[in-house]
Amino acid sequence: MSEPIPAVLIVLPIVAATVPLAAGLVRDRVGWAIATLVLTAEAALATVLAYRIYVDGERVVHVLGGSEFGRQEVEFGGVTSEFIVGIELVGDALSGLVVLLIAFVSLGVLAFTRQGGPRSNAFYSGYLLLAGGLMGVPLTGDLFNMFVFLEIVGLTTYALVASSDRPEAAVAALKYLVIGTTGASLYLIGVGYLFVRTGTLNMVDVSRSLAGEPGWIAGSMYGDPLVAAGFGFVVVGLATKAAIYPLHTWQPDAYAEAPDGVTVYISALVSTVGAYALARVTWFVFTPEFFVVNTLVIEAVLVLAGGSVLAGSVLAASQRRVKRMFAYSSVAQFGLIVLAIGVAVHPAASEQATRFAVYGTVIHLLGHAVIKGGLFATVGSIAEGTDARMVREYAGLARQRPFLSGAFAVLGFALVGVPPTIGFVGKWYIGLSAVESRLWPVVAVVVISTVLSLLYMARLLENLYFDTSTVTTDAPGSQSTDVAADGGGANGAEVDADMTPRKAAVGTRPPYGMIGLALVAAIAVVGLGFVGADLTTALDPVVEAVIESSPEVTP
Amino acid sequence: MIHEVTHPAILVLIAAGLMGVLPRRIGHVLGVLGTGAAVVIAWTVPAGSYLDVTLFGTFDAVLYSVDDFSRLMGLIFGFIGAVAVVYSYASEAEGTQTAFALAYVGTSLGAVYAGDWLTLIFFWELMAVASTLLVWHYGGVAVRAGFRYAVLHGIGGSLLLAAIAWHFAEVGSVAFDAHPGIVSGVPAALAAVGIGVNVGFVGLHAWLPDTYPRPHIAASVFLCVYTTKTGVYGMFRAFPNGHLWIAYMGGAMAVFGAFAALLQSDMRRLLSYHIQSQVGYMIAGVGLGGATIGYGGSQYYYDALATAGAFGHIFNHILYKALLFMTVGVIIYRTGKESLDDLGGLGVHMPITAITFGIAALSIAGFPGFNGFVSKGMIIGAANKKELEALWYLLLLGGVGTFLSFIKLGYFAFIEGSYGGMVRDANRGQSVALVSVAGLCVLFGLVPDLLFELLPFQGQYEYTTYTIPHIGEGLALFAIGLVGFAILRGPLHHIGLVPDVDYAYNRVFFYGGRVLVVAATELYAAIDRAGIRLVRSAYWTGRNPAAATQAAAGWLPGGIRPEIGTDPDSESTGHPTRNEPSRLFLRAGIGTTILILSLVLTLLLLFAV
Repeated sequence: MSEPIPAVLIVLPIVAATVPLAAGLVRDRVGWAIATLVLTAEAALATVLAYRIYVDGERVVHVLGGSEFGRQEVEFGGVTSEFIVGIELVGDALSGLVVLLIAFVSLGVLAFTRQGGPRSNAFYSGYLLLAGGLMGVPLTGDLFNMFVFLEIVGLTTYALVASSDRPEAAVAALKYLVIGTTGASLYLIGVGYLFVRTGTLNMVDVSRSLAGEPGWIAGSMYGDPLVAAGFGFVVVGLATKAAIYPLHTWQPDAYAEAPDGVTVYISALVSTVGAYALARVTWFVFTPEFFVVNTLVIEAVLVLAGGSVLAGSVLAASQRRVKRMFAYSSVAQFGLIVLAIGVAVHPAASEQATRFAVYGTVIHLLGHAVIKGGLFATVGSIAEGTDARMVREYAGLARQRPFLSGAFAVLGFALVGVPPTIGFVGKWYIGLSAVESRLWPVVAVVVISTVLSLLYMARLLENLYFDTSTVTTDAPGSQSTDVAADGGGANGAEVDADMTPRKAAVGTRPPYGMIGLALVAAIAVVGLGFVGADLTTALDPVVEAVIESSPEVTP
Repeated sequence: MIHEVTHPAILVLIAAGLMGVLPRRIGHVLGVLGTGAAVVIAWTVPAGSYLDVTLFGTFDAVLYSVDDFSRLMGLIFGFIGAVAVVYSYASEAEGTQTAFALAYVGTSLGAVYAGDWLTLIFFWELMAVASTLLVWHYGGVAVRAGFRYAVLHGIGGSLLLAAIAWHFAEVGSVAFDAHPGIVSGVPAALAAVGIGVNVGFVGLHAWLPDTYPRPHIAASVFLCVYTTKTGVYGMFRAFPNGHLWIAYMGGAMAVFGAFAALLQSDMRRLLSYHIQSQVGYMIAGVGLGGATIGYGGSQYYYDALATAGAFGHIFNHILYKALLFMTVGVIIYRTGKESLDDLGGLGVHMPITAITFGIAALSIAGFPGFNGFVSKGMIIGAANKKELEALWYLLLLGGVGTFLSFIKLGYFAFIEGSYGGMVRDANRGQSVALVSVAGLCVLFGLVPDLLFELLPFQGQYEYTTYTIPHIGEGLALFAIGLVGFAILRGPLHHIGLVPDVDYAYNRVFFYGGRVLVVAATELYAAIDRAGIRLVRSAYWTGRNPAAATQAAAGWLPGGIRPEIGTDPDSESTGHPTRNEPSRLFLRAGIGTTILILSLVLTLLLLFAV
């Protein structure tokens, strides 16, 4: 029952990554075409995989290495049990959605980089390599293999960040390199501890061994300090990858200094797979039963995540550069996601609470990827031609960039969590799960984060649409004469156009691909809000598995 | 039947969308048609629920539900929307502005036709967004006010949302008919404060006089109707069995609003305070609407009277308050002046405006023969019959304040002094809007049975509008108002801008926010500095072991201090390097992070093991 699709999804882009470099010897600028071709095939494959998972209700498994590998009967001390030999790739109800997200975002961002981003062949090699690495994280069923894919993602991201010609980008990439590698090493140490105790690296087998299922293990190992320490290392490592405050310091620099096209891509997906890995390991390797024994540690994670939400929001509100603002906003949003991951396995959570927390985690993970990618695409497109990168430079740009500003507003409202966008659905479920499990501090954090995000989004939108620079020049009294003259409005617009000297000639319009990506993202966040019901149905197998503390998501 | 599944809000929102792209004239015609259709639907559609859906896979929501309460709201919202569109057209409002206004009307309709809490909050938030856009559209000073408005309503909406989430956790359903009102305890308190922002509880009301006077005159007409009245409706849904505290809060609002209004000279600001005062009567009615409130535990009679009075007052209030904002708008439109200090003697020049203003003022003050008298009387009567003396006096006192401030407004605008120069009366479109609404104010005042037929709880209470004591009460309040004004006229004429609570909390909010942001940044910077210093000194120690030992030895007490010979080399690379700009800055940044990383790890391991 070895299915080829998961393996092809990973191998195809990685192998194809060599093509742009090789073709570059013959022709310039072929990278984009090759990447588009490959990633279109990826999107098709991901769709087929998702169809198999969600419509046919299968758990698609691929065993690397051929027929002598795979699940085998193992006998030890007179007891037989099934164990894996080799590495499994698994597509189930949790990974399917993430695979779809990665495939379509990877394809979509190409529309932006066609004219907006780096265009060298080397860039597209890196891009394809990154796509392959990203695909590997959700698909793998092996803890060490996950480390390998996380490192592929990490290393290619460092290279892409550094691909800008500004020296600051190199510095940011270096910082990211050191911190990211440290995080990955901590994860590896954690995995090593688990290996020492269980003798296996397969997620399902590790989880079963920790629960004490195989006959040769006497009872569960949840109370074992080494196992608990393993969880600590894994969490800190993955929290660094997901940029949780105060482990986030690499992230604002990396997002802000990378070329715009790269920022769109990594902001949408890189931290996303980090958070995915955390959810996968927390829910299915350690399972809720582990946290019944170790309640304090999950509460420590909640405190860390809650702090990330608050600190990230406050730091975002105090930024003057738009890209940095959204980078810090990601710190806050991933805090929310980690909160939901933690609530799902918290002993205080009822079944209903766990259900909502799982919905909230995955929906917000997907929603945030689209929203944040879309916002960075919009920011990049607005900067094209207007060169506006600071919040105050956005003053009154709505008149010159009506479509982009519209997309910006929709995406911004989605980030705040205004219905009917996907941002609302995710936050709503996260809030609801916290209420259901009676974790009041978490509820307070969710509510406060909404208000704080409203604060910085409102500041941006106000600048964009309602040029506040005229307020200071208008005497308050003159307003009323305006009313008498013409009922206000039209005349006022002319006045401020004359009174505020602005970069008069707006250079070139951004290319259609860049605007298109922003618009598609804006439409997607609203559209996804309406398919919330189908998403939750798709996630029901995941919920069942978490509630039963089962290591496998079976349809 | 097709009209049973046509949600009125959809029609109005479509009209709003078309208005945004079509020419101004056609757009306004469509706006009138859309809101008019909403009236027809509200009138004809039978009670029941029509659009049951499952939201997000979990929640059984009722998008469109019609009962006596929502029908009444839909009827008056649609009607006044149509009138306000006509008025906007006549007052030269831009098409875009009216499009925002219609979006605001549409989302309000969506909120009052909701059959469950989730749909209600959904439209509630959108209503806040649409009204903020309506304010912002005017630009200038309206922008900052709109920002404050948005933040306050964001907070209110979040509190209500939290209340709903908690309610759902307790009840297991968001539908109105699953549980009478919001679950008591913390959720009820959250809902009361959250909705309290919308209805202008005393202390949470400052956005009203801050926001409503600033935008275009036609925008004010829309604004004065929908947000607060949807709030009262939401308050009724949250507390269908009333609550004594809410009733008293209503009384406090009635008095505070009326007397704060008395101190204003900006006309629209004065009217905004009166929204708070009048909404206070409605809130008092909602609060009294429970069998356990006050005297008469077993008698449903007075409870029905209070609730019906609250809804009757919503209906009447929307008519006369919109009329007041329209007449004042005409004055501003013709003279360009906002303040009573600059006006006077306009009655001669603007007879239509003056007469319709008079009708509206007598209505709001509750003079016998006008519609306010009918519904206000029901609420005051319920308070009286339930023997809540203190509340009864509060509501009467509010009535005196209302008379006083409208005598003031009418006197200084239309009667006292003379206005230099020519001023024309309301133009044709404005006159149509003014006269039609004024006519209804008189009609519902003279034939109150027309109103009673629209109200909920028909036949479950008895109420006679025109009795001798009741008329006497109305006339007495008027007399006290007249005498009071005669005494206070001088001091009231030239009164400066009176600060309200927002003066305090705008500053608290602003500086509080600053402090928060600066504190967070500074704290982080401090940690960062400390970390850098630690790493730097570690580096320095590594490179200059001799000097480091010497420096460390310096801290030891003299008795055990080791003798170290001075080394000229170490001297030169010693302390001064600390003050030089660090070459390690970059590495320190990373180092700090790694330090923090290991600290977090240590802490987590402490908890884990």
